[in-house]
Amino acid sequence: MKKLSLFTICLIILIGSWVFLEFVVGGIISVPIPNSVIAMYMGLIVIAILVHISVEDSQFREFLRPIHETLVDDRRRTHRRVLVVLIPLFLLGYTYAIIAQRANPPGSPRDAHPSPPLELTYKDEVIGTMQDVVNPFRHYEKDDPEAFKAHVENGKRVYHQNCFYCHGDHLDGQGHFAPYLQPLPANFQDPGIIPNFQESFFFWRIAKGGPGLPAAGTPWDSAMPIWEDHLTKDEIWDVILFLSEYTGYQFRTFGEAH
Amino acid sequence: MKIRTIAFLLILFGTLAVFSLTYAQNAPEASERGKEVYENSCAHCHGIEGRGDGSAAENLLPKPRDFTRGLYKIRSTEAGQLPTDQDLFDIITVGMPGSSMPEWETALSTEERWQVVAYIKTFYEGFKENENPPKQITLEGKISYAEQSVEIGKELYVELGCVECHGNVGRGDGTSAPTLTDSWGFQTWPANLTQGWNYRGGADTEDIFKRFIGGIAGSPMPAFEGDSFLNFGLTAEESKRLIELENRDEMTEAEEEESGKFYEKMDTAVDIALSIKEGAEMSAAEMQTYNDAMKVVYEKSWHLANYVKSLMPEKRPEPAIGNNVLRSQYVQGTLPAIDDAVWETFEAGYFPLVGQVVIEPRQFNPTIDGVHVKSFYSDTEVAFLFVWDDRTHTTGDEIDEATGKPLEDALAVQFPVKVPQGPTAPKPYFLGGGRLPVYLWHWKASTPEQVTELTAKGINNAEAQEAQGELQVQSTYIDGQYKLWVKRALKTEDKKDLQLEPGVFVPIAFSAWDGSNGDVDTKRTMTSWYTFTLEPVPSSRRFVYPPIIAILSVGLLFGLRAFVQRRNTEDV
Repeated sequence: MKKLSLFTICLIILIGSWVFLEFVVGGIISVPIPNSVIAMYMGLIVIAILVHISVEDSQFREFLRPIHETLVDDRRRTHRRVLVVLIPLFLLGYTYAIIAQRANPPGSPRDAHPSPPLELTYKDEVIGTMQDVVNPFRHYEKDDPEAFKAHVENGKRVYHQNCFYCHGDHLDGQGHFAPYLQPLPANFQDPGIIPNFQESFFFWRIAKGGPGLPAAGTPWDSAMPIWEDHLTKDEIWDVILFLSEYTGYQFRTFGEAH
Repeated sequence: MKIRTIAFLLILFGTLAVFSLTYAQNAPEASERGKEVYENSCAHCHGIEGRGDGSAAENLLPKPRDFTRGLYKIRSTEAGQLPTDQDLFDIITVGMPGSSMPEWETALSTEERWQVVAYIKTFYEGFKENENPPKQITLEGKISYAEQSVEIGKELYVELGCVECHGNVGRGDGTSAPTLTDSWGFQTWPANLTQGWNYRGGADTEDIFKRFIGGIAGSPMPAFEGDSFLNFGLTAEESKRLIELENRDEMTEAEEEESGKFYEKMDTAVDIALSIKEGAEMSAAEMQTYNDAMKVVYEKSWHLANYVKSLMPEKRPEPAIGNNVLRSQYVQGTLPAIDDAVWETFEAGYFPLVGQVVIEPRQFNPTIDGVHVKSFYSDTEVAFLFVWDDRTHTTGDEIDEATGKPLEDALAVQFPVKVPQGPTAPKPYFLGGGRLPVYLWHWKASTPEQVTELTAKGINNAEAQEAQGELQVQSTYIDGQYKLWVKRALKTEDKKDLQLEPGVFVPIAFSAWDGSNGDVDTKRTMTSWYTFTLEPVPSSRRFVYPPIIAILSVGLLFGLRAFVQRRNTEDV
């Protein structure tokens, strides 16, 4: 077998790395990489190749040889003719594609978990500070398991009469209305949701709904109702108990409440 | 590993697998463990006692299944039979599209689903009494999908009376559609056959075929069986001939005699079918007559299934989100009218509707699936075509008791008054009221040639604008489908109107009301905010720059060659 020229090897490395990043990592292993990051990796590879070929004069000449031959050598006449057609054709198509590209709407820089207010309120009644308020029925878990069970049961009822249309039977945010909402309803089975928030945060999100979000949460997009208009305070606390009981995740706490 | 060890392991695992499967399906312990799973995952809809009366049931339609009557819609078994265990397992596993029954594959293990199957069966005595396995529908003799079969199916669709409920082209808009109730007395709508993604038991031709032969138990959809099937006992040709004869005003004596023979043949076949249903013993000749007659039913069912399959797109259209936004196409001169064929030449933007469950009164069970929108614009005007399916044409003859308002079909299109600049700029809330007003177009079926312009600050706070008449409107209702055409100038004098210009991304949202589903006021279906734009005319630069670049590159290549050649000669 003929030994590959340095130029061909470099070309193979370059194309191979791109295919690897785009299709193997991004496609088969399915860790999608942003285009900007791919561009950065490719830049680094190009620099590495340039450093490698320019270490020695002979090496550089060896690298240039195929290009040189293609340009002037009579034995490469066919190659030359093909390239002189292909390169301009490629550039023609490429510039056309760039210019004719349709404008796309701007993306939404939405903050899915914006900061809550300092005070937790139900309608206009102040319950306490966001940091300190705890679920008033949480202590039954230890003190009175029967009462706790009743509250969870009630939370389950409330959930299936109001929430499951969007948040789903499995609490995974995939209720039968969900696929057609933007943004998607919260997925309580996601390990990053319940354990990262206090119960008071959930109370705030449920009570005030989409319209109660600060601007960073793009309140105008959310379909989450203002539940304090429909549910009592106790019903909201019960539904929060049900969320953690059903999923098995614990809400975040800051030690014992004072 | 030695072959003997492998064989031993295989046998061990095989035995375990078989053992655990039978155990899960049959043992009474399975149904006990199923009780726990059922009460945790199913009872909130289907009820603790399996009566379909859980706490969520009140707001659901179709209602959750009542397991106490042994009536199951989706079965692989013949008419009047119970489902197989596998049928029950499958429906739990994949759920029922178009209803609130989700798939349970992700939430319950295979074992748990089998346990639930065992437990559900305890709600109905018939499962215990029935020792013989239910008779399954054979799929042998399947007639594959082909244009010719679809044509035959299309004729059968009319002949067999499918039109009565499912409508002329299958949109569920037949004349009896609004009157149907299920075995529990709840209202039920005939399927819109053009929306395969909502078929409860799947939309493959096999699935459709099974619904024909087995019927949809508990619903008004009949099974195709001997005693009720049209012209049972006749061959396809004979049946056709009889229909032809029956349609004549007068018959000659010979024709009278001919049709008389057909009736005799049918009577014999129906009698046999009824006797078989009652479990009577039949002679071989009688069985032959029956089987021949059923063969015709099966054949017709396959043709009909192929026709129904032809009515639906392959899958539900993708919603117009992301980069797939609604783009209005530029045309020079006059914009196309409602019946112009040019509307058919491109894909519509699809906006799926969901029930409005935020503000009382709420709609938990929408009957309108989505609205398809197309648009053209010219230098001065923009035209929209809104298309949506609605099974009934309701124009406000009935009054809603709660609100005192007429129940009628309607559509509203919502824009902001001012286009928000940049992605973080506030859009108006689409519900519940907001700081920023919206600009609305409101069309009602009772005034089909008129669209009212409104300014609204919240869902219950809309006011008709003083200046009306800027919109030109045309609309039609044909075969269960509304088409609404609205034209307006890009720029208007009214400051409360949205002003349009090419290249701007404009938020857009929709609401639809189905009067016959009780939709009125906030009880309606809706979408969240989507995006629409007047797609700018493609720049003519795209024909200028690319050739220049190409020519330059040729020049560059030749230049490079000349440069290298010259250096070579110098080197030498």
